[in-house]
Amino acid sequence: MKKDTAPLYYSNWQLFSLTFIRVLIGWHFLYEGLVKLFTPGWSANSYLLGSVGPFAPVFRSLANHPGLLKIVDILNIWGLIVIGISLFTGLLSRPLKLCGIALLLLYYLAYPPFASLGINVPVEGNYWIVNKNLIEMAALFVLYMFPSSHITGIDRIFSKQIDN
Amino acid sequence: MKQKSNNIFRRDFLKGLGALPFLGYFALKFKDNLAAEAEIKHKDYLKMLGVGNLEAPRIKYVPSLNTATNRIRLGLIGHGWRGEQLLQNFGFIHGEQVKENTVKGKYNEWLQTFLDQDDLNVELAGICDTFSIHAQRGVEISMNDIRPGGDKGTSKPAKIFPTFREMVESKDIDAVIIATPDHWHAPMAIAAARAGKHVFLEKPMTHSIEEAIELRNTIKSTGVVFQLGHENRQQMSFRIARELIEKGVLGTVSMIQTFTNRNGEYGAWIRERKFDKQGNVSNINWKEFLGNTPWYEFDARRYFNWHRYSEYGTGFIGNDFSHQYDCINQVLRVGIPEKVVAMGGQYYYKNVGDMPDVMNVIFHYPKKGYTVTYDGTLKNGIYRENYIMGSDAAMFLDLGIKIFKDDYSDRYRDVKINSADPLYVYTGGTEVDATTTATAQAYIKGGYGATFIDGRVMDASFLHVKEWIDAIRNQAKTSCDIDEGFDEAVTFNLANLAYTNNKQVIWDSETEKATLV
Repeated sequence: MKKDTAPLYYSNWQLFSLTFIRVLIGWHFLYEGLVKLFTPGWSANSYLLGSVGPFAPVFRSLANHPGLLKIVDILNIWGLIVIGISLFTGLLSRPLKLCGIALLLLYYLAYPPFASLGINVPVEGNYWIVNKNLIEMAALFVLYMFPSSHITGIDRIFSKQIDN
Repeated sequence: MKQKSNNIFRRDFLKGLGALPFLGYFALKFKDNLAAEAEIKHKDYLKMLGVGNLEAPRIKYVPSLNTATNRIRLGLIGHGWRGEQLLQNFGFIHGEQVKENTVKGKYNEWLQTFLDQDDLNVELAGICDTFSIHAQRGVEISMNDIRPGGDKGTSKPAKIFPTFREMVESKDIDAVIIATPDHWHAPMAIAAARAGKHVFLEKPMTHSIEEAIELRNTIKSTGVVFQLGHENRQQMSFRIARELIEKGVLGTVSMIQTFTNRNGEYGAWIRERKFDKQGNVSNINWKEFLGNTPWYEFDARRYFNWHRYSEYGTGFIGNDFSHQYDCINQVLRVGIPEKVVAMGGQYYYKNVGDMPDVMNVIFHYPKKGYTVTYDGTLKNGIYRENYIMGSDAAMFLDLGIKIFKDDYSDRYRDVKINSADPLYVYTGGTEVDATTTATAQAYIKGGYGATFIDGRVMDASFLHVKEWIDAIRNQAKTSCDIDEGFDEAVTFNLANLAYTNNKQVIWDSETEKATLV
């Protein structure tokens, strides 16, 4: 079985583009997390309650359970911040890209973009199956397969390939 | 070789620095942007409305006082579906309900919530109903000890009184709950008050204006504690709405719109309930039911669907508008209108009674500078809140609140908000602070149910009966007392007069007379 080892050699522009998109997604995650952290009384409550689609009962039940809601809020805020810093700086970014994909998957499932799910969901565009969450997930997957942090991030300090 | 490797390392390391300016910019500026973001997303809605902190949500729940002694002996007159609901609020349910809500020896959540309700220290001492099956069921309920503060086998069965007259004269009864057809409300409440019994009376208060005057005078002269059964007096949304309007958030109010939207026979009060089929001439005291109304031969449909007959009921204006009116009256203190016009008809449910099923009423308040309207249909069930239209903003009000800015408002000229987005939202049944971010579509519920008080969700109907019991024990005032009830009864009866006579009705508040013109 082939191991998903990182290609060692990128052209400069390839490396730039991979790093650039990594930083952009990191920026997005980090800022989303910090906004929530610094907004007094922020909670995912109304987001979860308004959930639509086949998984809505699961998300709503989280909102209806105060203890669980507290945990969801903490995991969400700090998940976004940690993943954001990781992508931004290229630290432990490979495993945390998977965490980012998982987090985005939850957002995707809470408000899946299917026309049959009603018009009450406030969105700023028109989406069918594919929405920005799904595209960001795909971008993270590409970054997972073509990492850059071992060259242009803090991960290079721990990278055996460079040491070799 | 080592030299080459070092060169690659240095070159790549420099590449890695490419992200640094981004990180630096982010670190320097994100706080500024966060502040701006927070200002937009988490506006102080009360500040935006131009009001300080609200007092209404800070109301504390006060457990019943002086309940250890002084047990109050209740008599229920009218143990139909509503009477049974009221008994539950007072802490009495049937053993059947205990069984239905017990699974493998454990109480379910509904039953446990009921049992956790405060014990009001009341006894169900008497039952009176013209239908003997209903009366007997009341006795069974009185003997069920599984209830808040249950007596563990010491409950006495309630005494069945053949008519309300014996009950109100009985020394074994301290207070009565009246949940009968509307035409009996006033005569029973008057008789009870004259006999010194405190009165909890279901809405609508009376069947006519004359009865409303007589009942008010009787309650005032006897000094008994009176509560009209508008449980929405306990709803947090109306308390908040009253405070907001008093603080001027709507500007000058020029129009108030109220609605009933129901569809289907159940909503039109054509209903068949659990024991209706067993009712017949031998177990229903038909003569007592009719009272002073015109004589008809026994008719079970007339008896069980009395709401739909104008001899006994007050139409959907008495049954549903009275709720909307009381909500508006507690918020704006509209009082009794000077003129009323009404139109409508019975177009759809013609086979039972004479109740109109489409009705529009206009209530004029020229001195107050506004009009109250009521649009009711029993052939469309799309829900509408009450709308209170002010010069600065409009309030959509029911168990929740939404306030929208008027684009022509002076007060909110500097408030940058899209007029389609609410300025303020309160979602019923929740804590007020939890809902100040009006970012998502908020759902405003209609109807009657839970309210949020002192950090917890409570049944508004329980709070309403508790308030009456507390007032009896502690010589306090009730929130829907006889003056509030008088406003309600005169107002909706004016509408029924206008509809029935197809004329404008003028109310003279000095002489307390209605004139058809």
